[in-house]
Amino acid sequence: MPTYQAAETYRSKVVKPLDFDEFWRGVDDQLDSIPLNAEVIRDPMRSTDDVDVYDVRYDSLDSVRIAGWYGVPKGVSGDLPGMLLVPGYQGEPPLPKDWARFGYAALSVAPRGKLRSNSQYNPGYPGLLTHNLTDRNTYGYKGFYADAVRGLDFLLSRDEVDSERVGVTGSSQGGALTIVAAALRSEHIKAAAAGAPYLCGFVDSIELTSTYPYQEINDYIRHHPESRDDVIDTLAYFDGVCFADKITCPIIVNIGLQDNIVPTETGFMVYNAMTGTDNKRLYTYDDQGHEAGRYLHAKIVQDFFAEQLSPRTS
Amino acid sequence: MGEGRYKSVTDTRPTDFDQYWTAVLDELANTPSAPEVERVPIRDTDYATQYSVRLTSIGPYRIFAYVSVPKGDGPFPALYFAPGYGSVVANTQQGMPNGLRRDHIVFVLAARGQRNSDKPYAASFPGLLTDGIDDPSAYRYRGIVADAVRGLGYLASRSDVDANRVAVLGSDMPLVIAGLSTAASHVVDSPAIFYKAVKRAAGTQAYPLEELNDYIRLFPERRDAVERTMSYFDTRWFASSVKAKTLVLAGAKGEPLSRDGLQPLLDNIGDNASVYEAGEDHSTYKEGVYKLSWLAKEFRLGAPVLPEHWQ
Repeated sequence: MPTYQAAETYRSKVVKPLDFDEFWRGVDDQLDSIPLNAEVIRDPMRSTDDVDVYDVRYDSLDSVRIAGWYGVPKGVSGDLPGMLLVPGYQGEPPLPKDWARFGYAALSVAPRGKLRSNSQYNPGYPGLLTHNLTDRNTYGYKGFYADAVRGLDFLLSRDEVDSERVGVTGSSQGGALTIVAAALRSEHIKAAAAGAPYLCGFVDSIELTSTYPYQEINDYIRHHPESRDDVIDTLAYFDGVCFADKITCPIIVNIGLQDNIVPTETGFMVYNAMTGTDNKRLYTYDDQGHEAGRYLHAKIVQDFFAEQLSPRTS
Repeated sequence: MGEGRYKSVTDTRPTDFDQYWTAVLDELANTPSAPEVERVPIRDTDYATQYSVRLTSIGPYRIFAYVSVPKGDGPFPALYFAPGYGSVVANTQQGMPNGLRRDHIVFVLAARGQRNSDKPYAASFPGLLTDGIDDPSAYRYRGIVADAVRGLGYLASRSDVDANRVAVLGSDMPLVIAGLSTAASHVVDSPAIFYKAVKRAAGTQAYPLEELNDYIRLFPERRDAVERTMSYFDTRWFASSVKAKTLVLAGAKGEPLSRDGLQPLLDNIGDNASVYEAGEDHSTYKEGVYKLSWLAKEFRLGAPVLPEHWQ
């Protein structure tokens, strides 16, 4: 494993494309042209005495129908801070009951390909990471990122959500989506917490680790060696490192120094690339793998958002 | 919520526990596995060849698995990543070093409802844990356990597998299938759901156990039926039949799945069991190094193969 200093000073090979911002403005324009068409249906099975849980559906890029779980503290109306929860690579999005109990209107998004959003797009696992990887306009993560960002549009459409107090958080792929959402919606996201951010430093990661999911990319290149340049070009448009400087809100990041899935070097790399905000903090956890200190860090995340977004607690 | 919320009957082994599982195994024995094996070239490496496998389990139901075979002459030790609770079953467990495939046959099975084994039945998450839970004979996990046993049977039947070095790894399923089959030589088990499930659910709001709370809240009159069904799947009742050398990965001190909390399970496994107890930080790094070192030692392979950031 690398020393702390070696990981901290690792020099990334990521090159931000010159038309990066233009590309994502184009995606944003496409999203703007698609009505949200939100459906919100209460789920009595998952609701409790203190939290109402709703099955949410909305339209995203290419008119793909996206699912989410929406949790709201019972008996509270208006002026709730909103929380966008973004999922990891393999797991299904969790129900956001705990965040609702903390006093937030919380949406847990299932971007395309997740079980509840896979009727129109389903590349599978392994598969998503390399689906249509040779063209930035068709790469699966274009829609996937858009679906997560679109979740913010849903939150902002809700009467009970105070649009001036919205945060985003997730770990692993959720850490990457946190960075993407905070960058692409910097005018709305007021606080962000990214754990063990995946999808940052793709070209570095495929050399630094032999574990899956990143190994999917090496598999692809080995199987399609002629496409290597196209793959590397495409990935740059989706690299968290390229989004990082657009973040302007307070943000905290946690990484494990023995992360066997997301190389530790890339955690430092993306944190160092967050040059658009002075209000940032990196938490490093020794003796920790991809959980990145979760058992200790969860309370730090909760306190961070409480300070930034002021939920009402009963 | 305290554990006293439900008056538990799950500390009792069902009197017809053996009959219940004998019927499942009989049904499995009467169902030809009909394996179909295909190359998956994109997952090949210089040192291993990747295949997909389709097998028939009870129902009949067609299930999917991946098997990676080292290049060279076998027989090889085998690692079987048994199905857990979750939709995705990838060719290699996330975070495991790909280099494990150099010296081991790596077998990963998707039980019914999981991706690639999701036709005609696609499980919901949450939802799977309570699917058919009112009746032990209709509970979805009855078939899932059969699928997992079928996978072990297939793996053990391969001529390139060293029968003395077959490890089953996973959450609860390794103990369950090692209790129903003698084909596993080693077990690495991380108790998760099927240990005092209903009782522990009363003390948590975390999924997947919260599924039981959701179900009982909506159908309070079915609580006894839920407890009865879950009692057929409690790992304690399989443990006394486990002959494989077993490593149990326990939670931290003071937690429900700590070494102390798991003592009834450990007692039932007996002398075959050793325990790794997590620290308060639940380090997957420390646990992972311990687990891979234990397996390498048991398989007499020398130094363990570790991911780059654990070396």
